Amino acid sequence: MQQGLEPTTENPADELLAIRCQLGERDAFDELIERYADRLRGFVRRVANSESEADDLVQDTWLRVLRGLPGLRDPARLRAWVFSIAHRVIVDRLRSRYAGPAEASVDALVDETDLQADHLKRDQIERGLAALAPPEREAMVLFYLEQMPQAEIAGVLAVPLGTVKSRLHRARVQIRAVLQAHETPDHKGDLH
Amino acid sequence: MNIEANSTSIELHRQLRKLTERTLSPVARYTHVMLLLVAAAVGIVVAALLLTEPALPLRTRAAFGVMCLIAASWVAYACWVLLRRRPLLQAHRVVAGYLSTVFSGLFAGAAMAAGIATGAPAAWFAGALGVVMFALAVMLLVRARRNYSELQARRDELVRALAGD
Repeated sequence: MQQGLEPTTENPADELLAIRCQLGERDAFDELIERYADRLRGFVRRVANSESEADDLVQDTWLRVLRGLPGLRDPARLRAWVFSIAHRVIVDRLRSRYAGPAEASVDALVDETDLQADHLKRDQIERGLAALAPPEREAMVLFYLEQMPQAEIAGVLAVPLGTVKSRLHRARVQIRAVLQAHETPDHKGDLH
Repeated sequence: MNIEANSTSIELHRQLRKLTERTLSPVARYTHVMLLLVAAAVGIVVAALLLTEPALPLRTRAAFGVMCLIAASWVAYACWVLLRRRPLLQAHRVVAGYLSTVFSGLFAGAAMAAGIATGAPAAWFAGALGVVMFALAVMLLVRARRNYSELQARRDELVRALAGD
């Protein structure tokens, strides 16, 4: 991830694609599949922590995307909208696993520069994800693997920005602990 | 591992294309648009008879009342399908708008002609409701065409902007 750079939440290519779908151009739906199917699968597979449920969850998400597209009011926010639907599908399906203790926002304790300076690598995150609860897993996947800005993540998960920061903070602490427990000398230099 | 991931991805894309094809099938959509229009027309005719023929026997009135409820249920069902299960994309809304305008125009015209020819109050009542239906259809068509044009204009603007990048 390009640390320190906040990618824009509005993407003209995504807006164009969403508008073409809304207009009813059939090949736009193929492009939508090309652009989002694998990313959505990666997201739900990691958050649900289940290979077998992933395809079913993606199809459920896709059906809701198709049905909701005509009513999408802000096509420029297509990515956030698609992932917010995937989030709701996961929450609906995994309600029992997803429910956790009420979380207090620790916004004040989380330093923005701490998040930006964290050099967790993709493979380290992948290894540590299984140890996290689904809400933390979601925040980590969206932030590090989908490279979504925190404000956009807050919109996707329908939580305050402070909650996103606290989930990322908690997740990173947990991942570091997991990695340190299994650390090999080769990886030592990557952890802070 | 990569081969397995690739085949999973190809299979997922295939499934999603199939799902898209099934969900966005225009035939199913227009069938529901026609169901909505026919059910509304039948409901209007029966309601007109029920309201303008006070001499009808009680059993006939009850039967007409039930028919009105059935027609209303079909209208509600078709609306639900079009809003939730098979929503209309903008291009479909324009076509549905034309279908509704032509159908309700024909219905209103036929009912008015029957009213002029027979002088039956039921025909006049159905004609008046047909005119309301026609006005709604025209309104929906105008809105659908306007939204379509706006989206098309934004589409062209984005194509130009992205081509200039």
